Amino acid sequence: MPQGPPQRDKDTRFAILAALAVASFGLVVLGLLRLQVLEHDQLARLSDQNRVRLDVIRAPRGAIRDRAGRILADNQPSFDIVFRPAPIESTLRVRTAIAPDWLARVSGAIIGDTLEIRRKVQEANRTGQTAVLRRAAPYAVMAAVEESRSDLAGIDVQVAPIRRYPSGMLAAQLLGYAGEVNDRELEERADKGYGLGDLIGKTGVERRYEDVLRGEDGAEFVVVNAMGKRVTTLEEGPPKLPISGRDVTLTIDLDVQRALEIAMGKIERGAAVVLDPRDGSVLAMVSKPEFDPNEFSRGISFDRWKELNSNGAFPLLNRATQSAYPPGSTFKVVCMLAGLKLGQVDPDSHMPTSCSGAYYFGGRRFGCWEHGGHGSLNLVDALQHSCDVYFYQLGLRLGIDPIEQTARALGLGERTGIDLPAEARGLVPSSQYYNDHFHTGRWPKGVLLNLGIGQGELLTTPLQLATMTAIVANGGHAVRPHVVRQIEGQESAKLPRPVEPGVVASSAIWDAVHLAMHKVTIPGGTANASRTVPGMNVAGKTGTAQNPHGNDHALFVCFAPLEAPTIAMAIVAENSGHGSEWAAPVAGSLLRQVFLPDTGSVAAKAARVAPVPVDTTAD
Amino acid sequence: MKFRLPPLDWPLAFATLGLIGIGLATVYSATSVPGAHQGLWAKQFLWFVVAVGFAWIIAAVHYRFYDSISWPLYATSLVALVAVFVIGVERLGAKRWIELGPLQFQPSEIAKLATTFVLARFFDHARLDLRKLRWWMPPVFITLIPFALVAKEPDLGTASSFPAMLVAMFFWAGMPASQLLLGLSPIFNVALFFLTGSVWWFVALFVGLLAWARPRVVVLVAMLALNGAVAVTLPKLWNHLHDYQKRRIETFLNPEQDPSGAGYQVIQSKIAIGSGGLVGKGYLKGSQKALAYLPMRHTDFIYSVVGEELGLLGSLTVVLLYGIVVFRGYRLASIARDGFASLMAVGITTALFFHIMVNMLMTIGWAPVTGVPLPFLSYGGTALIVNCIQIGLLQNVALRRREY
Repeated sequence: MPQGPPQRDKDTRFAILAALAVASFGLVVLGLLRLQVLEHDQLARLSDQNRVRLDVIRAPRGAIRDRAGRILADNQPSFDIVFRPAPIESTLRVRTAIAPDWLARVSGAIIGDTLEIRRKVQEANRTGQTAVLRRAAPYAVMAAVEESRSDLAGIDVQVAPIRRYPSGMLAAQLLGYAGEVNDRELEERADKGYGLGDLIGKTGVERRYEDVLRGEDGAEFVVVNAMGKRVTTLEEGPPKLPISGRDVTLTIDLDVQRALEIAMGKIERGAAVVLDPRDGSVLAMVSKPEFDPNEFSRGISFDRWKELNSNGAFPLLNRATQSAYPPGSTFKVVCMLAGLKLGQVDPDSHMPTSCSGAYYFGGRRFGCWEHGGHGSLNLVDALQHSCDVYFYQLGLRLGIDPIEQTARALGLGERTGIDLPAEARGLVPSSQYYNDHFHTGRWPKGVLLNLGIGQGELLTTPLQLATMTAIVANGGHAVRPHVVRQIEGQESAKLPRPVEPGVVASSAIWDAVHLAMHKVTIPGGTANASRTVPGMNVAGKTGTAQNPHGNDHALFVCFAPLEAPTIAMAIVAENSGHGSEWAAPVAGSLLRQVFLPDTGSVAAKAARVAPVPVDTTAD
Repeated sequence: MKFRLPPLDWPLAFATLGLIGIGLATVYSATSVPGAHQGLWAKQFLWFVVAVGFAWIIAAVHYRFYDSISWPLYATSLVALVAVFVIGVERLGAKRWIELGPLQFQPSEIAKLATTFVLARFFDHARLDLRKLRWWMPPVFITLIPFALVAKEPDLGTASSFPAMLVAMFFWAGMPASQLLLGLSPIFNVALFFLTGSVWWFVALFVGLLAWARPRVVVLVAMLALNGAVAVTLPKLWNHLHDYQKRRIETFLNPEQDPSGAGYQVIQSKIAIGSGGLVGKGYLKGSQKALAYLPMRHTDFIYSVVGEELGLLGSLTVVLLYGIVVFRGYRLASIARDGFASLMAVGITTALFFHIMVNMLMTIGWAPVTGVPLPFLSYGGTALIVNCIQIGLLQNVALRRREY
């Protein structure tokens, strides 16, 4: 061997290199022991968490039907774009810090607002729950997401039922809408198992019967790949099947509701309620303007939401139960009833001062709407012609508290207890009320005059007026208006009967009130326009509520048929003028559609009997 | 006449074949899930046949031939390394490949072999005295040129096998250990700085080394200057690294910091290996692998698939086989009858050893992610051929160890 280090030196060096190799491979062995023995349990668990995910199976919400079983709200499948946070303890905890380019890709793919997506993703990461980034995504968005799935870690497409309102705007405020649960609701209902992205009833029947309509979500373990895409379900651990929400059948009659919508067609703002006076069930309820609850199912943008809420018309407001108006002359029915009941007047009574177009009291002039004067009228004729001078004097004679008590017995001044959320109370002043607002016993007697014709502090909701009319129609039996007739799987959905007994009065008294109200609807009365069905007698009362903020509100209450009432209703048309001109024709149109159903389609009927202003300005 | 087996190094041969067998089986498993890579194992088997052919030829030709062509080969490989920058194919932000018709190869692999030959030839000299500057300086430059070119591609993993080889060959050629360590002190300087964040550890080590080596004044001053310069320029050098290189180093030092990129790979690799436990989830049954959590599972992170599916048993078997390869490689170096052969064997074994360690330590999270494939196991034609050529060269030495 010509060159190189001596063999002995070579052996030493070989020993050193061999030792280095042993040490290096020993290091690898140590690393393997640590991972595969010491940390095996933990890493095996992480491996499972990596691949196994608990997916929610959404329970469909119960359907809402009309009294004949026709669908008013049900569900349809929607493809939602969701974000699923990684298991908290697992490896992708990175996602808690949202990368700007990831965010940009996501918002680009789903065409969404970056800030909104960031907020939802942060929330999802915080709670570990799935967040719905876009509900009911159109096909193009879904395709975009599927295409770039590998760049959109955590993003998934999920099929979930969303709410469908097949009739669109029909009875929108009554049905309400269901939307994604918000932070406050999550907090309030923490114990009821609500999670991010859950649907919750927000208004109307959807809200009031949330606990019934809402089903119980199921769950299943699914195996997912690194992209979060579902590969298969896990063999071990069968799915927990979802339990659908229960159906709710309303008292609403779709035909009557449609008829009322058509009858209200020309009213820009206002409300109408149709009751069955025998039991208080709501047959139809309309609040104008309306909105399309389907918009909320698809996920409403913040801008659109603001638009709906800041618009002065407040379409989301259910004016039938949540707005209170002065009852105007419709309140004269209350005064008439109170007078007869207390024996202060009888149907033939005349008042000391006959109507010359005005009444003078305490040095002030109180006008009658008929500037020419009505002359001397008895009680029945005074109601027929709505003579203010007569009712000023009746009010004075009765005093505050008798009027107040009768009004309350007829369901005014207190919530009716209808099964709809956020009902307004209205206001019927008592002497106590005036004592509180003025000095005790020092309030002017003039308030009594105003009370007599339904002005002043009085406030009533259209629903309260309809309830009052129903009680008058059925001869004094108190009814509790309600919208739900039956709940699936429940014997009876009946609300507790009202505690108030109603109004106890002799049949002679009721006959007189009914006669007077009937005379309102015949030629010479103020609501001839409501009498549209030949041969059927109607009883009603118009009203015009003075509105300090604008044009007067037009009101009309009525029931029919006179002899055996099956319909009682109240109509309020905001800022439109006289009740006889604007509200009574709505009733006429409705009655014709309901009681003459064989004269063609509802639409055709509507064209024929659409409310036409008549040339009377009577009230 | 009795048939006599050729005097191959049989443990080395069988260990290599065992590793390639495990590699083929694991590539099959890693690409068995639906996806673009299905069927790669068949291609890899084809490469294996080609690679064995190469190894056979390389082993048959006497190593003196490689000795004689070492300089021209070295020069050619440097030209190829430069050519990469001009006509190279870019993949994942790095230019490492040259296309020749249907074939692609990495000039860095040829440079690695050529540098080994040149260094072995240089050190195999009667008057070699590594204490003298004129003897130890040229090898440093011989190594630095290809190192710099490969690092520029950039391919830090392969590049760093050049200095590793140089150090081993210096050592084998008789450089005193103290001098060698002193020469490596800038590396310790960098490593200790990153690991401890303080210069004092290194200062203590450096003083100890000086006391041991007792260098001449010129060397002393030079080393002091060099280490001072390293300490000053380190931050500036840092800024010259590619972003992804920085990220890899940062991620290595603190994997939790960025689990989305390189950290994600390491964490998933650790989960795969660790969840395998003692005997693994069973061949073809790795869930990490199947559900694509494990990145580059048939190439750089193939060892993680072994760990997941075959457990500690499988991973230790692989370690054992690599141990045999490295041990036999150094053993052949120590029994070779010829200086060139001996030095060549050390260089080649060290290059293999280095790649094995860098990859394995990476998969268990103890080395940065450098994109170095695991010899014999990872999918890839060029790497398999080059690795088999390296074994062929070692067998070349074995076949001629009884020559005189």
